[in-house]
This record gives sequence, C-alpha cells and structure tokens, in this order.
Amino acid sequence: MFGYVLKRLLIMVLMIVLVSTMIFFLFRVMPGDPTAFLVDPSITPEARAQMLSRYGLDKGLWDQYLIFMKDLARLEFGSSYFYNRPVLQIIGEKLPATLILMFSAMALAYLIGVLFGAWMAWRRGSRLETGGIVFVLFFRSAPTFWVGLMAIILFSAGLGWFPAQGMRTVGTPSGSFAQMFLNWDFLHHLILPSIVAALYFMATPLLVMRNSMLEVLSEDYVEMAHAKGIKPRKVLFRHAARNALLPVVTSGALFIGSAIGGQVLIEVVFSWPGLGREIVTAVTRRDYPLAQACFIIISTTVMVMNLVADLLYAALDPRISYKALKG
Amino acid sequence: MKFSKRTPPVVRLLICTALLITLMGQVVLAAPAGEKVPAITILSSLPEANMVNYEMSQEAVEELRKLGVEATAQPTDFAVLLDIIYGEASDYDAYTIGWSGRIERLDPDMFIHSINHSDNALPGGNNTNRYRNPEFDALADAQRREMDINKRREIVFEAQKMLAEDVPHVTLYSRATIQTYNKDKFTDVLNLPGEGVFNEWTPFQVKPLTEDKILKVASNVNIDDMNPLSSKSVYGWRNLRLIYDKLVRLSPETQPQPWAAESWDVVADDVVDVVLRSGMTFHDGKPVTVEDVKFSYELFINEKNEYFGSFLSPIKSIEITDENTVRFNLKEPYAPFITNTLAQIPILPKHVWEGIENPTTYPNLEAIGSGPFKVEHFRTGEELAVSRFEDYFQQPLIDGYIFQIFAAPEGVLTALELGTVDMVSYDLVPAHTNLIKENAGGKYSHLELTEAPDIGFFYLGFNIDRAPFNNKAFRIAFAHIVDYDLAIDVHLDGYGARGGGGLVIVEANEFWHNPEVPVYDKYDPDRAKEILEEAGFTWDSAGNLYMPAE
Repeated sequence: MFGYVLKRLLIMVLMIVLVSTMIFFLFRVMPGDPTAFLVDPSITPEARAQMLSRYGLDKGLWDQYLIFMKDLARLEFGSSYFYNRPVLQIIGEKLPATLILMFSAMALAYLIGVLFGAWMAWRRGSRLETGGIVFVLFFRSAPTFWVGLMAIILFSAGLGWFPAQGMRTVGTPSGSFAQMFLNWDFLHHLILPSIVAALYFMATPLLVMRNSMLEVLSEDYVEMAHAKGIKPRKVLFRHAARNALLPVVTSGALFIGSAIGGQVLIEVVFSWPGLGREIVTAVTRRDYPLAQACFIIISTTVMVMNLVADLLYAALDPRISYKALKG
Repeated sequence: MKFSKRTPPVVRLLICTALLITLMGQVVLAAPAGEKVPAITILSSLPEANMVNYEMSQEAVEELRKLGVEATAQPTDFAVLLDIIYGEASDYDAYTIGWSGRIERLDPDMFIHSINHSDNALPGGNNTNRYRNPEFDALADAQRREMDINKRREIVFEAQKMLAEDVPHVTLYSRATIQTYNKDKFTDVLNLPGEGVFNEWTPFQVKPLTEDKILKVASNVNIDDMNPLSSKSVYGWRNLRLIYDKLVRLSPETQPQPWAAESWDVVADDVVDVVLRSGMTFHDGKPVTVEDVKFSYELFINEKNEYFGSFLSPIKSIEITDENTVRFNLKEPYAPFITNTLAQIPILPKHVWEGIENPTTYPNLEAIGSGPFKVEHFRTGEELAVSRFEDYFQQPLIDGYIFQIFAAPEGVLTALELGTVDMVSYDLVPAHTNLIKENAGGKYSHLELTEAPDIGFFYLGFNIDRAPFNNKAFRIAFAHIVDYDLAIDVHLDGYGARGGGGLVIVEANEFWHNPEVPVYDKYDPDRAKEILEEAGFTWDSAGNLYMPAE
C-alpha cells in the first residue's frame, strides 16, 4: 500500500511538471501582451518597455521558463500583475468563498442524489422514476446561467425570499472568519446559488446511484434479506444502498477536483466573489502569474482527488487491494 | 519569333497582327499609369466586442469594393489588434479602435501631440496612423509650450484644422455615456463627459432624499489595488481620487481650480509656484505639509510611475521656498502641467511612505490620504466602503459610499430594480438602456436615465506608410465613403455624436473643439470618385482602381 502511494505521488510530481510546462507555454503563445491590459495603450513605448522588464517579460522565453520552474519548485507563484499582490494571497482570499459554495452544493447534490437514486432504483419502472430522470437531466442540460437568472427573477426579484447577488449585505464591515462566514446573512446569500449549483451537479450522483443500485438489487444477498423477512426499507438502505455507494464515492472525489472550474458561471450570475470568476478575468487580462497559479492548483487538485478516489475504493471495498500490484 | 520559309504570307500577317494587338492590349491595360491599388484589410472589432465598429468596417469594405478596391474586413480580438498595431512588424493596412474619453484627455495634448506627432510614429508609439507632417509637428510642440491658455487654444484650433484636411484617420462616431441612478433616493446627479455620474464631484453635489446617506455605486470592473503608485485602472483611480487629495481639480466645466492648493502662480514659463491650503490633515490626524507634497511628487518620479509618466517627465526639480509654497522647475514649458500634472498626482503622507522599502509593491490596503473620504474596508472583488472624513475642508453631502463589484451587468440591473444599488459607474449596455426606458410594469420607475456626450471617439485608422493610404487624396475620398449618420441613427440608436475626417477633439470638449472641423464629414460616394479622378486615379476596363502615375 505504502509503496503504491509513493509510486503514485512520484508520477503526480512528474505530471505537475508537465502540466505546468504546458500552461506556461499556452499563455505565452496566446496573442496579446499584458501591458495592454494593465495600462491604457496610450502609455509611451519607454514606459511599456520598462513595465515588461519589471515583470521579466523582456527576457527570452527559455529564460522565463527556467525562472518559472525554479520558483515553482519553491512553491513561489509571484505577484499578480493586476492586483500587485502575491498570487497566493489573492487565491487565499478568494478560495473560502468558492469552497463554501462548492461544498454546500455538493452536500445538497449528493445527499438528495444518493437518497433519490436509491429510491428510484427500488421503484424501477414507476412514473416517479421517469419523472425523476427527466428532472435531473433537464437541470444537467439547461445552461446554468439561465437557471440562475430564472431563479433570481423568481425568488429574488419576484418573491423577495433571497438576495439576488453577492455573499453578504452591502457594507458589512470586515472582521474575523467567523464574523464573515458564520452568520445568518451569509447563509441567506448562500442558499440560492448553492441550490442552483446543486441542481446542476445532482444528475451524476443520482444516476450513478440508481444504476449501481439496480445491479446490487439483483444480488443474491438482497433476495436472501427479503426471504429472511426484513422490512423492505431496511433492505433498501441497510443492505443494498451501502454496497451500491462505492461508485458514488469515487465520482464525488473526482467531482471536487473539477468543481472549481465548473462553477464559474454560477459565480458570475450571482456576482459571487470566488476564485472561478477570478480565473476568467486573469486570463482575459493576461495576468500570467495569477492564471498560471490557478490552473496549476486546479490540475493538482484533480490529480490528488484521483488518488484519493482510488485509495477510498480500497478502504471501502476489502476485495480491492493495491498490494498485488507490487508483485 | 522566327517564321519558317514554309509559312504562308497570309498566316505571317495574321500572326503579326495578333501579336501587335496583344502588345497594344497590354499597353492599353497598363494605361492606368500607376500601380493597381493594393488590396486593403481592415482589422475590425469582433462583433461581440464592438458591434458598431464591426458593422462600420463591413460597410467601408462594401464602399471600397464599389470604388474598385479589393477589400476585406477581418474581425480581430482586441488583444491581438493591439499587438499588431503596436508591434515591431507594423504589418497592417487599416483598423478600427477607439480612444476612451478619460478626464485627463480633456486637455488637448493627448489627442493632438501623443497620437499625431511624428516622434510617436514608431513601433510601440501612439501615432499608429504613422502620420508625419513637419508643419503639424511644429503646432503640436508649440501648443505644449504655450502657457497662456487663450494663445494655446488658437494653436490647438489650427492643429485640428490641419488634421481635418490631412485626414490621418477617419473618426466614425463618439458614443454617448448613458448611465442611471435612483432618483427616489438621490437628486442633483451630474453626468460629466468622460467620467459619468460617479465622478469626483458627485460627493459634493448629490443630495440624499432619504435618511440613507450612504451612496451605493455599482461597478462591473474590479478595483485593482489601493496603492496610488501601482494602481493602473480607471476604476481604481475613480476611488483613489476621493481618498487621496490633489493640488488642483478640474471643475465640472473643465477649468482648473485650486483645491488642496490655495493658489498657483506661473512665475516663468518653466517655473510654477504652488501655495498649499493651510489646516489640512491626513486621515490619521497628522497635518498635510509642503514636505508631503514635495515627497509625493518625487516618489512618483523616482519610482518611475508608468501611469502618470508623461505628466511627470517635464519636471526638472521641486523645491520648498517657504513654509507653504512649493516651486516646480520644469525642463521646458509644459502647458498641461496645471490641468494634468497638478490635477492628477495625489498627495501621499510622507510619514507613512518614507519607511516603506519597496513602495510600488506595497499593498496599502488601509490607504491613508487627505481626501474627502477615508477607507472603512476593502475586499478585493467584493466592495470598497469609505466614510466621510470629518476634518476635510469641504464636507460632502453624503456620509460615505460603497463601491460594489458585480460580475456582469445583468446582476447590476437586478440590483437597480431591487434598490440595493443607487447608481452605476459604467455605461449601460444598450439592451439595459432600452429596458429601463420602456419600464415595463413600472419596475424601473425610480430610475433616471442620464446622457452625456463622450470626449473620446472611435475611428478607422490608416497605415500611412503603405499605399494607398500614403496618398492624401485617397484618404480624403475615404472620408466620403463613411456613412456617419448611419452609425448614429442605426447602430447607436441616436445615442452618440457624428465623426468626420481627422476629427480628434469632439464637440463635447467645448473649450478646445474647433467648430470649423471636421471638413470632410459627408457621406458622398460620388464625390469620393470625383476626388480620386481629380487626383489622377484611374480605372481599368474591369473597374479596378489604379494609383496615379508617380
């Protein structure tokens, strides 16, 4: 087991180097020069040259790459061109907002998805099952910004139940983390965007759970449980669902890896000051350090979560063991 | 060609005639003395970025084709376009772009000197039309040196006339600034050209109508940072200008007036004395002194600030002549010194900044200035909240304001509808202007739309280093194939101002605009043809246009 993890970690480091290299060169081949976005094009050529040299962009591509890789090895991502502050500081400020929204949406999506997925498999062929599938697939395929806008029109502008945007009431003074995030005002702002995001994410856990349940339900031990006279609901949740959960858990781990990028549109529609929105503007502004750091962090999360999914599999299912791979 | 002896004379004759005709034909074809007018590619905007520029380029292409010129419009991403027109290779024929009407551009120096002087007609320079005219250069230099404002105005008028006759570019249109505010909560809101409804006079002019005296301003662009030495965005500066004070302000009528300065005195053409207003303090209670003024200007110069670089470069030295007077010695007379340099450079507290090792990269999140507002809190990408500074010499009519960042204009519209914001700080998108105007269901009854002309302009630029744009008659003819009224009436729904050949200072900039320009601003394709003919352009039988003989 330990050897397996070590091997995977080594591969991961190699992958990060490869991905970082790709990201570095992708930004450099993208047309457009960061000075154009930082200062009006009306600056003098001398000022532009001076700026490029301050950012190290006057050096050759290869030199820039070496510096970038050296800094990366020391986990130094530099300063954002636009914000003039260390990239990690900017990301640190934005990450909580994104993570809270993501985990609330995920909790909702997985809780409801798993329960209803199991239930739908149980009630296979019923009208409820058909209706449920149509429902989740509708929200999976509808553009999230459209669903978000509709939700705002209905619940914020129309009924006035929830605030339409932002993550707290305008003018809330700054304070500690608890004062900023652990209060009713923040929760009130969180509800609508996390429901809209959850509706979008829900199809995966629900359908995975349903399919996995259908398989499990045909197993002998389920029939056995029935034969023993155990109550149907107990059979469903105690015996069948627990075994069907495995693929849902792994899909959940992979979901976390991709969700930061996946909820960009929700952040835009609800003016949620998170990292997703920041990535988009960083790219359009050619803010290389900020954009590079964001993409490297996202791809690293995906890789780590892949590993976590594999390890979870082994932990949850005793039949799977990575020892065999060593031999 | 050799004829064999066997070739019959009749055939010989026929072949000779054929040869002759072919030769003559070539002579006739070559009769248009010059070269064929090279094909023109207009680098236009992407339709989603600027629909009007895109449409106007398409129409210019149509008109060029009618004149017998091969032309195409190539929609180009903004970043790519900047790369091309500012790049080393200078590989372009024509392009569409615009100059935004920022407040410091009310001074004519930018639009006369920076974008038309031949010194800047190099790769990376702002004269992307590559216009080179020694007579014009002399005028552009003279207006910069003339410290008497009325004499300067005459020179600026003359320079505008010359541009209108030389047509280094064709101005297509100016866009009107349409913004909105909640009229149930605030009144006396002024929409200033180049600045909009959230301008530096807003705090002193808007009157709250309710008990809520905190103005909530919506923005769809982030504030970059709170450090005056490194902030590089218009939106950042709209706020920093209210936190950090300046010696001079431009009045709403665009005339310079003393502000943190009590007065100024142009001692000689290259020496300006500024007397500091007494009794001012910074937000931390320390007094504002001439030491702070000298320190601030020198800090900006020593840190090689890029944003204000052109305003600072004329300063030779700064000295304190008595306890409330600072003397600026200039390298040479520089007319925009009062309207731009003194009106833009903020006063920083020396006691805060002198101990900072690397001032340009200092985050400065608590920004301490001497302006009318002090920072309450700033959360990147979320909001900036400021409150009235009680010790300021002129008290604002509001208790503070909150500058709120939205991700998209749709969110702002909802917030306006719900009343959670009071004012926008950017130009409304046309769809939203129409929604508010239609006011379906009375949703927007509390909103007032205001319109102000812009001092910026959008234009179609030429590369004068290339044929056919090196030919002045061709450029004048080009000014006749642009339908200026179509741009306004159809593409801008009437919210804008007309362009014209070589127009740089538009009518909205009342003091500096020469009413005699533009000279060529009528859509008249027939006249365009006449102009080309008079200048010696010719057409072949297929209708292709040829340059005049060398």
